Amino acid sequence: MSKIVVTGIGIISPIGNSVAENCAALQASKCGLSSLELFATRYATLLKFGEIKITNEDLKQQLGVTTKGVTRTTLLALHAFVQAIEDRGLSAEELQSSDTALINGNTIGGMSESENLYLDANKNEVGSEYISSYNLGTVNMYIQQRYKIGGVVNTFNTACSSSANAIAYGARLIKNGFAKRAIVGGTDSLAKFTINGFNSLGILSSTLCKPFDAERSGLNLGEGAAFLVLEKEEDAKGKKIYAEVSGWGNTNDAFHPSSLSDNGDGPYLAMKEALEVAKLKPEQIGFVNAHGTATENNDEKESVAMKRLFEKVPAFASTKSNTGHTLGAAGAIEAVYCILNLMHQEVYANLRFEKTIETTGLTPVTEYTKMNLEHVMSNSFGFGGNCSSLIFSKT
Amino acid sequence: MDREQEKLQLKQHIIKYLNLLHVTPEEITDDMPMFREGLGLDSIDSIEMVVMMEREYGLKIENPKDGREILQTINSMMDFIEKGRAAKAAEEKA
Amino acid sequence: MFYIHQSSCISHQPTFNDVDLEDLKPIENNLVPAIEPKYENVPLGQLRRMGRALRMGVGTCMKLLATNKVNGLLIGTANGGIEDSIMFLNQIHDYEEGRLTPTAFVQSTYNAIAGMVGMITVNHGYNATHVHRGHAFENVVLDAAMLLKENPDHSYLIGGVDEISVKNHRLVSLAGWYRHDVVSNADLYTGNATGTLPGEGAAMFIVSNKSEGAKAKLTGLKMLNSLDENFVKEQLNLFLKENPGEVDLFLQGENGDNRLLKYYTAAESLMGEETTVARFKHAFGEFQTVSALAVWLSTYVLQNQKLPQHFIKKNSATAFNRILIYNNYQGLQHSFMLVERV
Repeated sequence: MSKIVVTGIGIISPIGNSVAENCAALQASKCGLSSLELFATRYATLLKFGEIKITNEDLKQQLGVTTKGVTRTTLLALHAFVQAIEDRGLSAEELQSSDTALINGNTIGGMSESENLYLDANKNEVGSEYISSYNLGTVNMYIQQRYKIGGVVNTFNTACSSSANAIAYGARLIKNGFAKRAIVGGTDSLAKFTINGFNSLGILSSTLCKPFDAERSGLNLGEGAAFLVLEKEEDAKGKKIYAEVSGWGNTNDAFHPSSLSDNGDGPYLAMKEALEVAKLKPEQIGFVNAHGTATENNDEKESVAMKRLFEKVPAFASTKSNTGHTLGAAGAIEAVYCILNLMHQEVYANLRFEKTIETTGLTPVTEYTKMNLEHVMSNSFGFGGNCSSLIFSKT
Repeated sequence: MDREQEKLQLKQHIIKYLNLLHVTPEEITDDMPMFREGLGLDSIDSIEMVVMMEREYGLKIENPKDGREILQTINSMMDFIEKGRAAKAAEEKA
Repeated sequence: MFYIHQSSCISHQPTFNDVDLEDLKPIENNLVPAIEPKYENVPLGQLRRMGRALRMGVGTCMKLLATNKVNGLLIGTANGGIEDSIMFLNQIHDYEEGRLTPTAFVQSTYNAIAGMVGMITVNHGYNATHVHRGHAFENVVLDAAMLLKENPDHSYLIGGVDEISVKNHRLVSLAGWYRHDVVSNADLYTGNATGTLPGEGAAMFIVSNKSEGAKAKLTGLKMLNSLDENFVKEQLNLFLKENPGEVDLFLQGENGDNRLLKYYTAAESLMGEETTVARFKHAFGEFQTVSALAVWLSTYVLQNQKLPQHFIKKNSATAFNRILIYNNYQGLQHSFMLVERV
């Protein structure tokens, strides 16, 4: 069976607007978390956020978006999408071909326009420009129309593992012959809706998040988008190949709507399944880009699951200490970071870690380190018990 | 309102906030555990009840760990409500 | 692609317990709301928190999972619990971002249905929610087909669900997709007006590669994004060539919106003189995952070898072996599916 490889990447995150900027920021242990500047909410200065400091107007101008009703979630996606297809050099003809798939995962869609949604749903006599943009399909509907993507178009939602599943779906479409290439990724933008939602659960931190630290106090929400171009190795001859997407696992923790089980069943099974798909043994994984949201629940249960799976837990870290939790985009953004790990044979620091969680005794990577890496794993877990793991391998 | 009436009202609030379709106020006894084997509530319900305390009684529970103690039974909640009221009354006098 | 074994359906018609499609339930106030049954298989402790989409979705799933075990759950929904989303948003406004109750937020996430069913049935397997509007259910079908190629011995629960809610109805109505003149079931297709009637419902299926005991077989699927009716016709022609064989029932998704009629007319022109043509949105209304109900109806027709007269537009087959479903959401998202007798 031929390998599914990554031949194009694009990203925008709180630590950079391109792959190169993100890479430099990670190498320099840069933190992209701050107070909120671009929209009004009671929590703008009370909490920390991974906000991309570019206004919607600037994004529209940079991307040449003149259509009405395009929300920030779509603009961020488009930014990363354009980078990815240009990186791979896909032609208009290739994009329009019936064997080009477009898959993304997101959790907020057009609900980032919280004010307009409130008015449209309750008050307006005439709909706002966003009237048809609120649900999650809106992002790929726009990109499909703009580039006339000819193949399967889909949007995944499995909460915070949405874009990890979008990547797996794209890889499987190619494996099963339903697409020749798949442009896969995820996007989410900061919104009053999610800020208040996560806050109502009491899991947002007022300080910079500290993944895997004994004294962690919750997560920081972030925003961003990333896209990857996937194709078969033999179709990518002469093209730059970043990495192989070698494994994927999708399971359910089946325990609680918003917390992981004590034994980390869902995370354990997702990682195990990804290893089985990749035909790898646990000890072959050199590094884990952990889900590591810095909530009380996640970091402990994810650690428990890693200890169950790995006889010796490999080097691991959470880049959410750099970007915050970008929700539906996290799986795709962190996939790009895994590719950077493999490309440059290095791992990045889990920022602000001080003290090991007593019950697990695990310490993440705390500084930028060069490392020989063959296979890296990326974890993404979400509400509804949705757990996914991906494995990327050096080619 | 006497303590019994207060308790009935508290039970009605709980049923309303948690939308307990299958429970009548009479079925919630004063020392029945709210969580797990008792009424079978979970952590999301406990957050709902914290909000209920704030909206219906003007009482804040800042630390979620205190919440677990306070929200254990109808009796423990009544104690919290009465203590909170006494503290408020004292504050107003001062 | 795969065999359909069990199915369950909630719609505006009695489709959940004793199915009765003969006696068409009339439309009132231009709405085609689902008749919600008593949810006997859903724990009350969970049911209490659920909004309409969640209840219908979990209710149809649990009816099947009471007697079946599956390896994973795949749900299509374009809006998830949108009423809960807007309820939470309104709470943000009413309490000025103060301390808010989380239930509406947690329950409104699109993946809450598959997540909840996974939790209730302790199913650790594959768990996916596809949300791409008019292709949400179609992607569920494609995902299931791939899973069954990858794991030939598995079985999966698949389906689609969406709700009409007061707030969502307002949004779609403001966007100009609903009829404003008073419409009855009978004259939905004759008004030459813009807009359609909002529907809602859920249809779930147990699917596998096993032919034994199957009710029907889903043999083909194609999704298209286009505004050009000639392209749709061309692609349908290609789809029929790739999936040769006689179609004895063409089940199409006409919804009374004169802006979309051209697509159905173009598709219908490819059917043979003898092919029976039928429609279903006068019974179920229009919504993004209504194609799941079209598959449910097809399975019913193949099993019972009859289709009540009110569905029929043209001709009247006496035996049904192969059904072609063509649906289209808002003129852009098209799908073809083939459902065959086992």
